[in-house]
Amino acid sequence: MIRTEALTKIYNVPLKEPGLWNSVRSLYDRKYRDVHAVDGIELTVEPGERVGFLGPNGAGKTTTLKMLTGLLYPTSGSCKVAGYTPSERHPDFLRSVTLVMGQKQQLLWDLPPTETFALNRALFDVPLAEFQEIRDELVELLELEEFMDQPARNLSLGQRMRCELAASLLHRPKVLFLDEPTIGLDVQVQRTVRRFVKTYQRRHGATVMLTSHDMSDVGALAERIVLIDQGVIRFDGSLEAFQQTFGGGRRVVTRRSDRLEDLGFMAEEPDRWVATVGADEVNGLLGEVLRRHPDADVTVEDPPLEEVLASAFAQEIDPQRSNKNVPRSAPEDQ
Amino acid sequence: MNLVRLSRAAPAMFRIGLAELVAYRAEMAIWILTATMPLIMLALWNTVVSETPVAGYGPTEITRYFAATLVVRQLTSAWVIWHLNWMIRTGSLSARLLRPINPLVYEGVTMLAAMPLRLIVLAPMMAALVLWRPELLAWPGLEALALFTVSVLFAWLMTFLVQTLFGMVAFWTDQSEGMFGVWLTVWMLLSGYIAPLAMFPEPLQGALAWSPFRGMIAVPVELLGGFLAPRDALFDIGVQVMWVVVLSTITVATWRRGIRRYGAFGA
Repeated sequence: MIRTEALTKIYNVPLKEPGLWNSVRSLYDRKYRDVHAVDGIELTVEPGERVGFLGPNGAGKTTTLKMLTGLLYPTSGSCKVAGYTPSERHPDFLRSVTLVMGQKQQLLWDLPPTETFALNRALFDVPLAEFQEIRDELVELLELEEFMDQPARNLSLGQRMRCELAASLLHRPKVLFLDEPTIGLDVQVQRTVRRFVKTYQRRHGATVMLTSHDMSDVGALAERIVLIDQGVIRFDGSLEAFQQTFGGGRRVVTRRSDRLEDLGFMAEEPDRWVATVGADEVNGLLGEVLRRHPDADVTVEDPPLEEVLASAFAQEIDPQRSNKNVPRSAPEDQ
Repeated sequence: MNLVRLSRAAPAMFRIGLAELVAYRAEMAIWILTATMPLIMLALWNTVVSETPVAGYGPTEITRYFAATLVVRQLTSAWVIWHLNWMIRTGSLSARLLRPINPLVYEGVTMLAAMPLRLIVLAPMMAALVLWRPELLAWPGLEALALFTVSVLFAWLMTFLVQTLFGMVAFWTDQSEGMFGVWLTVWMLLSGYIAPLAMFPEPLQGALAWSPFRGMIAVPVELLGGFLAPRDALFDIGVQVMWVVVLSTITVATWRRGIRRYGAFGA
């Protein structure tokens, strides 16, 4: 459904040095610097996959999504989405994809969302009966009923974002690009949006590519993680593989603390003691804890995704690997 | 988007374009202000020509001329320069690029949707002018009216394309509005907007006949006001067609280059 080959975007950024003389000089002698926002990425996403596209700020996530939706022209390399070259912006391509961005405004500001929906129906040429069915489904899943007739400018951020999401999906796209879809929303709305995306994806078999700094989004929506840093893909594999690679092992948690310090348990909270060990050591450790305290309440957890991601971001890229992409499902050894 | 799909989408675009304008009252107020410019020029020139006619323009002719200018200005005005400039600089063009319709076609259609409102703004002003000078109600003749309709359509297209070109300058520099300001000054002087072109020296009139300026205001104004014989208008309409072709070609080429440069920043 998505395929990129050596996809690269280089921005030519003008340099502005401080001072009046330098400002004058830049009028006739402007210097530029090349910024490699995306540096030869190779990515294949199969139909129906849910991909979390992660990376620190400025890593190249949004630039990649913009190239995949045809908003930006690649500097070199190529990409195909739903069988089309995005930068050609073929109408049938635009009918197959959608891009939801946290700050994007496609709602008509002075009119109620119903009008934006009607306009999108006309522009995307959705037959009326089909449109009514899709709209009713979106209104129900995103709980839009009560404010559909209020001008967009009078809606709260959460209400507006839900309407944006609905407007982006009225043409029932096959590929969803979601760029920080829950940014700035309260917890309840975040949950509604996540539940909605999941239901939509399952019901229509859509392919989802999501960027987010909110690990609850990633945990709820992604089955595969692609990690990008400085324009280069650094990890590509399942969510579990991602946790194993960057999580530093699994967490054995117990309430008991006596006679366990020597096994590496440390207090996270007063009655919550945690030891982090490799996957192959979990059984051994569990056995030892239960031998010492046969009635102990012990659980095994994955490390929180926030921590996994922070640890992934904190690890420097091996310079020798920074120019090539890691093959899919073959996480780097860290 | 092909023409069949566009024609299916057009009614909704028209309806929603109109609804947006009604909701956006500030823009309405600005129109009313800009619409009064030919009336101000009429007041000025009326004083000048009431003593001695200039280039054949006495008080009756000058009223007819600026009443026609008022109509043409309303029917041909566009604001795509400001929209486009704003959309490129803020990145809000991205949302438009994701729709299966060229953003320029979309702008054009929604701008045409403003016509009914513009005519409503025009009606009381024209009524006041007719009360002042009843001879304005003279019938220009079917032939002149038909040619006026064609020429005013081309005048609108030329205005729209020129504004689009200046708007697209924002792909390269943030000076687009400043550059358009310079164009607007020249256009006001040379299009017949502030004075009938017949008052200009002969050699300049000859040069302006081939320029885009005359086709943007003077040609439809002179046809509606009865200053241009239908037979002579054919040359002017031919020049309008030539400029529409030239401007469309440059617009398409610039759009293709501009969109490659578009950084989609901010959104």
